[in-house]
Amino acid sequence: MNASTPIHLSELELDALTELVNLGISQAAGDLAMMVRQEVVLSVPRVALVGRDEAIHVLGGAERKDLVAVHQVFEGDIIGRALLIFPEAKSLELVRAVVGGDLSFEDIIELEQEALSETGNVILNGCLGTIANELERSLKISLPEVLHGQSADLFELDPPPESGDTVMLIYIHFAVRERDIDGHIAMLLDMPSLAVLKDLLTAYIRRVAGDVQT
Amino acid sequence: MAEKDKSSQYPVLDAVNAGMIVLDVDRRVVRWNAWMSSASGRGREEVYGACLADVFPDSSLGRLDTAITAAITRGLSGLLTHALHGQLLPLRTRAGRELLHDITVSSIRDGSDGKCLIHIVDVTMAVRRERYLRDRQKARYDAVVENAPDAILTLDADGIIRLANNATQTQFGYDHGELIGQPAASLFETKELWEAAWRCILEQAQVPHPVELTAMRKDGSHGYVELSASRWKNDNHVHVTAILRDAGERRTAEMELRASEERFRASAKALAELNATLEQRVIERTNQLLEAEDALRQSQKMEAIGQLTGGIAHDFNNLLQGIVGALNMVQKRMTEGRISEVERFLHGAVSSAQRASTLTHRLLAFSRRQPIDPRPIDVNALVGSIEELVRRSLGEGVKMVISGADDLWLTRCDANQLENAILNLAINARDAMPDGGTLTISTVNASFDAAQALMRDLQAGDYVVLRIHDTGVGMPPDVQARAFDPFFTTKPLGKGTGLGLSMIYGFARQAEGAVRIKSEVGNGTTIELSLPRFDGNTSVVFSEPPSAAEDGTGNNEVVLVAEDEEVVRLLVVEVLNDLGYRVLEAADGRAALRILQSAQKIDLFVTDIGLPEINGRQVVDAAREIRSSLKVLFMTGYAEVAADGQFLEKDMELIAKPFTMDKLAAKIREMLSVGA
Repeated sequence: MNASTPIHLSELELDALTELVNLGISQAAGDLAMMVRQEVVLSVPRVALVGRDEAIHVLGGAERKDLVAVHQVFEGDIIGRALLIFPEAKSLELVRAVVGGDLSFEDIIELEQEALSETGNVILNGCLGTIANELERSLKISLPEVLHGQSADLFELDPPPESGDTVMLIYIHFAVRERDIDGHIAMLLDMPSLAVLKDLLTAYIRRVAGDVQT
Repeated sequence: MAEKDKSSQYPVLDAVNAGMIVLDVDRRVVRWNAWMSSASGRGREEVYGACLADVFPDSSLGRLDTAITAAITRGLSGLLTHALHGQLLPLRTRAGRELLHDITVSSIRDGSDGKCLIHIVDVTMAVRRERYLRDRQKARYDAVVENAPDAILTLDADGIIRLANNATQTQFGYDHGELIGQPAASLFETKELWEAAWRCILEQAQVPHPVELTAMRKDGSHGYVELSASRWKNDNHVHVTAILRDAGERRTAEMELRASEERFRASAKALAELNATLEQRVIERTNQLLEAEDALRQSQKMEAIGQLTGGIAHDFNNLLQGIVGALNMVQKRMTEGRISEVERFLHGAVSSAQRASTLTHRLLAFSRRQPIDPRPIDVNALVGSIEELVRRSLGEGVKMVISGADDLWLTRCDANQLENAILNLAINARDAMPDGGTLTISTVNASFDAAQALMRDLQAGDYVVLRIHDTGVGMPPDVQARAFDPFFTTKPLGKGTGLGLSMIYGFARQAEGAVRIKSEVGNGTTIELSLPRFDGNTSVVFSEPPSAAEDGTGNNEVVLVAEDEEVVRLLVVEVLNDLGYRVLEAADGRAALRILQSAQKIDLFVTDIGLPEINGRQVVDAAREIRSSLKVLFMTGYAEVAADGQFLEKDMELIAKPFTMDKLAAKIREMLSVGA
């Protein structure tokens, strides 16, 4: 890794990445909808590549609020971590949205860990799987793990895998059962993975748009 | 469950205490471990080569299929939990119970035997334990919370009500469950107070002390609650348990307390006003009392006069007798033509009338209502001024002796009261001597040491002591003991109020003096009145009680006439009486000197120079030792004496015999008007 030569994605590459993320999220929404047997709207207003510190700042905010995350590791041509992150205060809301029904407060609390794991798993799988598929690469993705902590904790997990200083930050917005929940998907990539991603995006753009841009 | 295939080809898989299924790329079962056979009741030989949908035809496996596809085609790991899926597969425990399970789906990379592993984990025990713990916890919680009289709420981090106990519903009027999901703020009328408390709870984990809030019930009515709350965390979730105690009763009690304090303040105010009124009334009552005392004193004086009158009446009758008798004689002699004899009788009549007049003047002066007015008093002078009155009141049988100490100190008291006291004591003395005797009024200076003072209930120091001693029947000790009690009297009903001695006692104490009785049955009684010595400015001394003589007539001056020639004396006396002066007579120098040395008020001394034994000049010289400013009119038949310029001193005049009555009158008037 060479932190002094950060890799930047071109505007076109970023557009391509955003399109891929949208595809993945659509897939995730479909999977989620099938799971909860309800319409699920997942939208991605923005995708950004930011430094780790900025990501910590963006997610934690000035109040250093408590967060909950579903964490999965992916391995393949690209290695890294994927995190679906919500404010801690919203996690029960998410569970309630997913579970539905008139479950009591205690029931919701009891279900929280598993429900978060599975929901996060569905979303991350849908998103990552779709992206990997579109990039014609295969990824092995681990089982989900629920984490609680502040943003700095979530971005400083012990390796492996080595996580670089670049974070692909995906803002997502859920709308399930009349509940609106905002969250993030964060992908921590090390430098070689980011380089691979850049190459893969270039290949993807070439495939999709022909040789127009290159 | 029956295991239909005991000869497993994969002993490792069979040894795992979890379900293991391996699918090939076409999603057909290629591995099925013993645990699966047991839990599903389906043997390996039954399922090999089949799809899961065929093995579990009654199960909804859409989500599992998706996960399998993702694993096989994209290498994704999938998780399906009992939490979201209830019974994923129809699995049973060995006891035949429902088997709760989670499923993970993973891809098998480069697997020659298969592409996808389905791992089924039995979570029945964990879930049951959790539920058991939860139920036990809930039972405990309910036992406390649901039976609590206070409303107990569990709120989430957004202040939304997640749990509410029974008391909440009764306290706020909502049906069961109605409050769940509602913001707690909706329970309070005082929203800003709630918000402040809420912020405090979130930041500091609790409200430091109970906060009183106005609650709003479902029906819109208001109540008062006391909020205590604490924040707690479970799995990183912030919760707040709020306890709302109905403060209505306490508040009512407080309001009552406040109201009662208000009433107390009001009554304190009323009390203060009452006090003010009371003080006013005390002042009024005191004034009334003072008036009553004043009236009592006055009535005592009138009583004294009443007592005096008995003695005086006799005297008066004698005087009237003298007047009437003399006039009768005048009438008779005139009828007889014996004019030369008339004058003697006329003189006698005038003299008697004059004495009667003096007496009535005295009585009037004495009976006059006067305020208490303590001032420096020369007791000897005061005694002298009332000597006549006392003497008259004693009657003929009682001899009166006055023994004033020389250089008697001044004292300070109310002259009127002292006079009254002396008169009362004199009357008592008279009454104690029905068969006659001697009344002695004496004065003396006394310095009481501590012991002597204590005996008299006084402070040690200098006193003027006035003693009134009679030679009467005396008092037995029991009477002595009660003599100063108000209304105690030994006199017959209607003869006295019994207030005399108690009034004297009161007067003495008021003057910071004391009075005591020394008496023995058969040996008379001495009343001793001790009055403190006055050390003040002697220039303001009033040696004469103002009430004693001046009656506002302007003609009340006292003139002492000393003349051995009775006719001349009668003549001069007559002229003086004519002029309206009070006249005292002395037939010789010794008698004159006695009067002059007494406390008797004398405004002018008219004397013959040529008196027997002690001549006029000697009398004057002696008298002037105590009465330095005594005005003197000498009468003389010796013209050469009159010519001697050395003879007359200041305030001395001389009239030579013979003189006309008019000339004498003019001279006397002139002398008395000077410095008057």
